Amino acid sequence: METVVPKTSAVFSSLLRADFTTQWRNRRAVVLTLIVPAIILLSWKGIIDQVGGPFVLANAITIGLFASGLMGYSNTIARDRDKGIFQRLRVAPIPSWTIIGSRLLVQVAMILIVTTVVFVIGLDYDKIGLTPAAYAITYFTAIIGGSVALSLGQMIVGYIKNPETVNSTTRLVYILFIILGMIGELNKFPVIINRAVHWSPYGTVKTILSTGMTPATWNSDTSIALFVTIGYTIVFTILGIKWFKWNTK
Amino acid sequence: MYPICNYGVYPVSKFKQEKMNQQATAILTVEGLNVNYGDFQAVKNVSFDVKKGEIFGLLGPNGAGKTSTLSAIEGLLKPQSGTITVDGNNASEKPLHARASLGVQLQSTSFQAELYVIEVLQLYSGIYGLSLSKNDILAILRDINLEDQAQKKFGQLSGGQQQRISLVIATIHNPKLVLLDEPTTGLDPQSRRQLWERIEAIRDRGHAVLLTTHSMEEAESVCDRIAIIDHGSVIEIDTPQALIDKHRNEPEVIAVSRRGRVTLEDVFIALTGKTIRE
Repeated sequence: METVVPKTSAVFSSLLRADFTTQWRNRRAVVLTLIVPAIILLSWKGIIDQVGGPFVLANAITIGLFASGLMGYSNTIARDRDKGIFQRLRVAPIPSWTIIGSRLLVQVAMILIVTTVVFVIGLDYDKIGLTPAAYAITYFTAIIGGSVALSLGQMIVGYIKNPETVNSTTRLVYILFIILGMIGELNKFPVIINRAVHWSPYGTVKTILSTGMTPATWNSDTSIALFVTIGYTIVFTILGIKWFKWNTK
Repeated sequence: MYPICNYGVYPVSKFKQEKMNQQATAILTVEGLNVNYGDFQAVKNVSFDVKKGEIFGLLGPNGAGKTSTLSAIEGLLKPQSGTITVDGNNASEKPLHARASLGVQLQSTSFQAELYVIEVLQLYSGIYGLSLSKNDILAILRDINLEDQAQKKFGQLSGGQQQRISLVIATIHNPKLVLLDEPTTGLDPQSRRQLWERIEAIRDRGHAVLLTTHSMEEAESVCDRIAIIDHGSVIEIDTPQALIDKHRNEPEVIAVSRRGRVTLEDVFIALTGKTIRE
């Protein structure tokens, strides 16, 4: 009797169902990733007239994307790798890409949830409304921005094997990004620091997000930021895949 | 026997006939397997086969190369050279086909901590291409006396219960070959005996089982044939009793035997040495 290999679509749907269930059971962690964006939206209400609604929304979404991509994704991958969950899946007749592909699709859903929550709080509490086109473009730029965070998380979990070290490293990077977001572009630092922040992964994501909310202001600087964002994603992904090991031994 | 070919009838040597019979019934064939970790060669030119309806044990001290051999068969690591054939499928040419014929229980199995037992079974039935209903899965759990644990998480189960779940997942797709890496480690005698019976039941259904173990008692009781592996090489392959009979009068075996009776453990220690391996 000939050996039958399961259909990839059936395999993928089983993995997706399990990964979405896992994410749903971890909803407290999801709420935690939304705390800092919510704090930004609540505490910056008084400065919206000075900095503009898109600036506030873009910061909140960027922080949320990095919280989800860095701390959510990479820590889950590090934990499951350490426990041998991936090895158990890999001895099944499934292509390896389906294991990570399913996890990434869950993260794309997380990106959309983070973005939606920021929009809802922004509209309800801060009265920041966008045009339908701006909403659509922002969802698109959020996915691109979220990809940078995910690829950075992949690079960290690829380079570092120990789950505790992955956890502390991602927290450190996350805090760094919060600091960048809060004070990086206040023009109180030397120009070189402002430029570095502007072209950092955080800065380019924030640029494409905020400009995407006001499409008429899209210019060459934004286009370059978009390409740089994609460039970061490609580089981090290549390194993340190159360094990644399925087990910690 | 005179097989017929296109050019007429010709005799074949006894050796060739044995080889043909062996290939006809072998579910797993490992030939000239070499596995390296950097400069260290963990598996050296290992060859053996596991036949249909056979429990085959891979014995060896710590670091002998058992798990590396098993990992290569499972597709978890790429061998430097050698051929692995599972149910006629070359594992390097058709890895998914080879793995579809395998059921695997790893040394330390863990499943997603957030999933309930019933969801873990749903996941693995799905990735093996089965469409089992909730009732089908409950029936499977009933069969191993764990129906009442269906809504518990895997980590909440006892060691014996976890082993039963792992074994049921390893065999959920009715594989032709089941690989068990130290399946009874950490189990109490009752759970161990029950697991032996389940492994024998798998064999009695016509499947092949390849297991690694440190328990000579287990190897003697359960395995039809064993291979003793040390420093990456296979040093003996035979039935447990044949190995005891072959070596029982050797001075090294008599020197390590206790209470005047030669056991498989005595033979094992005589062949692999008394030095403790880390």
